Amino acid sequence: MSDDIILDIRNVTKTFPGVVALNDVSMQIKRGEIHGLCGENGAGKSTLMKILSGVYPYGTYEGTILYDGMELKLQEGSIQQAMKEGIAIVYQELTLVPNMTVGENVYLGKEPTEGGLINWNKVYSDTRKILAKYKLDVAPQVLVKELGVGKMQMVEIAKALSENAKILILDEPTSALNEAEIEKLMEILETLKSHGVTCIYISHKLNEFFRITDTVTVLRDGKAIISKPTSELTQEDLVRYMVGREMKERFPKRERHPGEVIFEVKNLHATDPADPSRKVLKGVNLQLRKGEILGIAGLMGSGRTELVTTIFGEYGKITEGSIVLEGKELKINSAHEAMLQGISLVPEDRKRQGLVLMQTIVKNVSLPNLDKFAAFFRINSAAEYSAASQQAKNLAIKAPNLDVEAETLSGGNQQKVVIAKWLLSNPKVLIMDDPTRGIDVGAKFEIYKLMNELAEKGVSIIMISSDLEEVLGMSDRIMVMCGGVSSPTLELEEATREYIMKLATGVA
Amino acid sequence: MAVMPEIKKPDEELGLLGELSKRFRQNMQTYTIILALIGIWVFFAVLTKGSFLSAQNFSNLFRQMTVTSFLAIGMVLVIVTAGIDLSVGKAAGFVSVMVAFLQARFWVQTIPIENPIVMAILSVIIGIIIGVIFGALQGSIIAYLRVPPFIVTLGGLFIARGLILWRTEGKTIPANQVGFDYIAQGYLPDLVGWIIAALVVVFLFFSMFTGRQRKRQYGVDVPNFAYDILLTSFFSALVLVYVFVVNQYKGVQVPVALLAVASVIMSYVASNTRFGRYTYAIGGNREAARLSGINIKKTLFMVYTVMGLLVGVGGVVLASYVGYGTIAAGEGYELDAIASAILGGTSPTGGSGTIFGALIGALIMSSLTTGLQMLNVQPYVQYLVKGVVLVLAVLLDVAFKKGKA
Repeated sequence: MSDDIILDIRNVTKTFPGVVALNDVSMQIKRGEIHGLCGENGAGKSTLMKILSGVYPYGTYEGTILYDGMELKLQEGSIQQAMKEGIAIVYQELTLVPNMTVGENVYLGKEPTEGGLINWNKVYSDTRKILAKYKLDVAPQVLVKELGVGKMQMVEIAKALSENAKILILDEPTSALNEAEIEKLMEILETLKSHGVTCIYISHKLNEFFRITDTVTVLRDGKAIISKPTSELTQEDLVRYMVGREMKERFPKRERHPGEVIFEVKNLHATDPADPSRKVLKGVNLQLRKGEILGIAGLMGSGRTELVTTIFGEYGKITEGSIVLEGKELKINSAHEAMLQGISLVPEDRKRQGLVLMQTIVKNVSLPNLDKFAAFFRINSAAEYSAASQQAKNLAIKAPNLDVEAETLSGGNQQKVVIAKWLLSNPKVLIMDDPTRGIDVGAKFEIYKLMNELAEKGVSIIMISSDLEEVLGMSDRIMVMCGGVSSPTLELEEATREYIMKLATGVA
Repeated sequence: MAVMPEIKKPDEELGLLGELSKRFRQNMQTYTIILALIGIWVFFAVLTKGSFLSAQNFSNLFRQMTVTSFLAIGMVLVIVTAGIDLSVGKAAGFVSVMVAFLQARFWVQTIPIENPIVMAILSVIIGIIIGVIFGALQGSIIAYLRVPPFIVTLGGLFIARGLILWRTEGKTIPANQVGFDYIAQGYLPDLVGWIIAALVVVFLFFSMFTGRQRKRQYGVDVPNFAYDILLTSFFSALVLVYVFVVNQYKGVQVPVALLAVASVIMSYVASNTRFGRYTYAIGGNREAARLSGINIKKTLFMVYTVMGLLVGVGGVVLASYVGYGTIAAGEGYELDAIASAILGGTSPTGGSGTIFGALIGALIMSSLTTGLQMLNVQPYVQYLVKGVVLVLAVLLDVAFKKGKA
């Protein structure tokens, strides 16, 4: 072998009843490289990672995996064993205990002991060493709940590295990070690389592969489609390999003919309901026209989510300013009242806020709309089914039937269920908080198309997004939030990536 | 996440066997506990040489489970919201004491009412109202003042205990108005039993056909016809066999008939009303429910109030069953009710559970008690067995879910 291969995956096949999740996958990962792994949701990325981390133990899949030249044989439920071998994973969802300190989290489950007692001095000094070695800018004795998402991610990485990891797998590490935090993460990955740690980097954000990875492997429908040095690839190539067809445009075209202003927020000030002294909105103005998509950009903590949940009557206490719909000033105190006025919110976190995961698609779609199907006491379940299946058809929700639990669906389809549930209430104003977060390219495109159709039908959409290209690609006009204050609304011509970033970081 | 195969076959094409296996997979848990119940019955029938399933024993078995069953079906909704109600046993006990007190003393001494039937009816109504008020008070503290249900109902348990002592003054109060004993000790004449059974069967088939009709009208997939017929016939047969067996003894037991009515209403409320749906949504994901415009406080308040209503009914049946109001009334019933609900598949973390399951759970508990008593097993063993069965059931459930994932 000419190259130094640390991980050699040979002809791995993993089947579940009725589904082939991985189909004869082979790929080689070189020592010390950053290896990107991309593919649509359901392409088999997670399954592969679960095999590498011992969630699916040796013997439950076919094929062989050579790790440092030796066959990798992980036992059932042996995440600890995988970590001892030097394979560590940072999951997409953060797995920290908020009420513990950084040091406690880093050494959770492997605390150094002395005569049966935990040696806290060693915990904190070793944590400090790890943090310093990889230039992670966090203090070991701070409680995790006091950190922002970006810093929490650093703690996750430190936790994974604390066993002298040789391979670090990062599963969509940037999905919750803002631009500045992503930049910082990229620096950390460079540091890790310089220390000889091999990284497998999974992401849906294609541009990140070109910023950081050496090699990219694309998975599609359980097969490894291609593995190539990143320098020989373009974004268009990746998209083509992922979807298996030419995708000309990331964002579908739309006739734009916005009407008159129907919704307005004037000089809105609001405070945190849990802490009235904390001002979360300090003067927000926006105007939304009929049938337009207004994009709201802004970093996490800029007040963008607080703004929409306050409009929806579920968060901030309004201290000044007004919300006007069709010339009428609104006083909204709950989600129910907002819906009655024709305002819907597709919340930021579909699993935590959007869906009752253990319930069926039908029940999720009808939940906010049961008043429609209920006469006196009784719910007309036939009418409920028919409305839900109409929505499922319009949104092309892929599922065996409507009686399957929402948790069994892929991310994109879950998001469609959340959208379906809010469309059923026939909103005039549809607020979407990061609607394509963590879903694959194909599903994103379908959601964009759907937003366009809605706008053409006269629904006014407010779309919050962390993805600048999405904001630029989808919006008619753009507003940027920073520190609880809104920027003037920008026309598309004046909005550039750089200008938006300046507004979002408070430079402009 | 694996690739989702896109099979969109209309259910009509599945055929009877396909439909059966699909339903079995969907309701694995329900079928498992039914099988467990049958297993327990067979076990005791063999060891008692058949007398466990004699008409008399069978009749008593069902009659014994009624009081805790009323509590268990209310407990399902409470646990579905990820709550708990520890007060139900003693609160029902307090209701039973009050019902006895009203009959034995109040109507005679304070407001003289001559007619014993009127006395009994008024006592029952007041008893149920006491239950509702008790539940509503706890519910408002839980929902609007945000004190955790565990704490509120633990307090409620102590308070109910205190109220019982206050009212009984440590003595036993007879509940013996003419007609009152009929509630828990009465039997319907054979013919009435058969008429009710016939009406139930007609209703089952009628609602099956209208249900299919409505589904077709709205263009929704209709389940396999043979399957629907089979299922409806099965439940009809159960009702008929039950009435046949108990008629061999004294007839359909009045408290069981009351429990059946309450269970059907509660099942209906749980699955076909907004209140029911909201309850399950809150238990499944409170945040998503809130953002879906559901009034969480009001729904929680109602859940505990409905629980109170069932405590009221259970307390009245208890008074009639025992014939007295005593200090020990309702002692430990909350634990049986919780165990029945959990055994019947209600998730202790909220979000799922069925009334039907809780009834099977209650039947399992009551079968264990009766069966072990018949085998002359010492009382301490009975508790050991019940404890093991409860933990084992949940253990199996956990193992099942793991196997599925």
